[in-house]
Amino acid sequence: MIPRELNSQRLETIGYDTCVTSCGNFLVLDQEVVDNRCTISGLRVVPLKEAFSVFPDMRERLYFNLIRRDMNELTALASREDPVGYYVYVEPGVKIEEPLQAAFLFGMTGTTQKIHNIIELGDGSELNIVNGCTTLNTGDSGTHLGITETYVGKDAHLGYTMLHNWGDTMEVYPVGAVQVAENGRYISNYVAMTSVKKIVSCPVAKVLSGGSARFYSIIYAREGSFFDTGSKVVLEGEGSSGEILSRVVSEGGTVISRQMLTGCVPKTRGHMECSGLLLNDHGVIHSIPEIRGEHPDISLSHEAAVGRISDEELSYLRMRGLTEEQSRSLIIRGFLDIKIEGLPDKVKNLVNDVIERSVSGTL
Amino acid sequence: MNVLQIQNLHVAVEGKEIIKGVDFELDQGKTAVMFGPNGSGKSTLLGAIAGLPGYEITRGSIWYKGRDLRSLSIDERARLGIGMSFQYPPAIKGVRLSTLLNVLSQDAQTMLTNAEDLNMSEYLDRDINVGFSGGERKRSEILQLMIQEPDLMLLDEPESGVDIENISIIAAALKTILEKDKPIKKRMRSAIIITHTGYILDYINADIAYVIMDGHLLGCGTPGEIFEEIRAHGYKQCCECFAEKYQNIQTGDI
Repeated sequence: MIPRELNSQRLETIGYDTCVTSCGNFLVLDQEVVDNRCTISGLRVVPLKEAFSVFPDMRERLYFNLIRRDMNELTALASREDPVGYYVYVEPGVKIEEPLQAAFLFGMTGTTQKIHNIIELGDGSELNIVNGCTTLNTGDSGTHLGITETYVGKDAHLGYTMLHNWGDTMEVYPVGAVQVAENGRYISNYVAMTSVKKIVSCPVAKVLSGGSARFYSIIYAREGSFFDTGSKVVLEGEGSSGEILSRVVSEGGTVISRQMLTGCVPKTRGHMECSGLLLNDHGVIHSIPEIRGEHPDISLSHEAAVGRISDEELSYLRMRGLTEEQSRSLIIRGFLDIKIEGLPDKVKNLVNDVIERSVSGTL
Repeated sequence: MNVLQIQNLHVAVEGKEIIKGVDFELDQGKTAVMFGPNGSGKSTLLGAIAGLPGYEITRGSIWYKGRDLRSLSIDERARLGIGMSFQYPPAIKGVRLSTLLNVLSQDAQTMLTNAEDLNMSEYLDRDINVGFSGGERKRSEILQLMIQEPDLMLLDEPESGVDIENISIIAAALKTILEKDKPIKKRMRSAIIITHTGYILDYINADIAYVIMDGHLLGCGTPGEIFEEIRAHGYKQCCECFAEKYQNIQTGDI
């Protein structure tokens, strides 16, 4: 059970709601697992350290397999300590409708939280995970490192939603790598709507034949926030596809958005759309969309735009009686509405709710 | 009772004077039609009444229900009861038509009924005007006005780019908003309709018509008479009719 002292409102801001039905829960406070439940047969949610003994070959197969230990100082640091995080395993053919809820709370000011998660979906299985990260109290400061290695089996489907609600004194370094097997599908949603000191992240997905990887990200950069984020999709198998959609709003923050699609073999296709909205003249949006083709029989494209809210659109809505603030809010919400496909309504509603509350200033 | 009173109005766009001293009054419950060639100042006049950016009132005044509009913002004017159907409404990506309508009114049933009347039901979940045809945009405009329920409607060429079938749908909705089914004295809503083609007059009985040329309002008459005159002889003759009154109008290129 969740310890009483945990602030449930903080958890709700990242979609961790104990009142809703879910297939499992996993909650970490600093370096301790404080809630771990699983209600569905065919799904295992196990603390990673424990998983090493429960699943004997797992450590060798999956741990620091997609991500190198010496990738950077933080991964090296994490590799030297006992891992804290989850191992999520779905047996082949098991399809789970209710999302798995996981949350990582940081409350020990001045320290570095090191999380390592491994997700493995057996062939033909399906799962949705909602991961949330936040501080225990407003004002907690420190560093969060989150390593996630994801293995999507053949014909399997994973929806992975990450909600960040840090504070303006937190530095955050998520490191992600995904391997999508033949005809597997991976959808990632990343939503960061609140202040943060710094976030640096660029997960990489390698996709085999017939598989697909889609990255959707929604970032609202407030004054003083710094994001250097993006995603990379490497299409390694014939007929594989990738999609990257990035929506960035800067209200004074700086966002470097690095997105890359690589087509290595024939019949790969991908599209990327990076849009940025600057709400004032303090912010910076540096969009870097890259596409790389390594074979003539591929189809890759990208669109990128950075601008401000159109005066014409504002006047139009104001002519209907909406105030300038209401009109701006409606346009921003619309801009951030990516209309993600392939996710259960519950997860979509959760993402929309976080965005709605954030734009309307209640988060 | 006057709902709108305009006195010696001069309006400039990007420093160039477009409206050059217009006096105009509109009574409550009345519908006025404005004819005029391209560039004569019709849309500028509506833009100035609505308070759209870029239309600078350099002289004169606009009064609506006894309030001087010059110091009021667009949305303040809208909340006082002024609504507008745009000639070229913008597309707003990500904002569904139903989302906007829900902000304007909490009456979901009325929204659905009005949308059905305008053949717009299947467009409610689409982004405003994104991928809409000319007719769909105009129907969307009228649907928004039906929900907004303004007391003074500014309709900028509601029939332009619209086929015959859609004109009749739009006109039927406008008749409803303008309470044309009520006895004349009980009609509370007023409208100014800009029309280039006059087709809308086949469906809506307007009370009075004006011709606007080179920023001047050239008298008035019954809509039928003036439209027939324009159709038969063009705007040039209209201009000549009023030439004695407005000596400075350039007639050569009309």
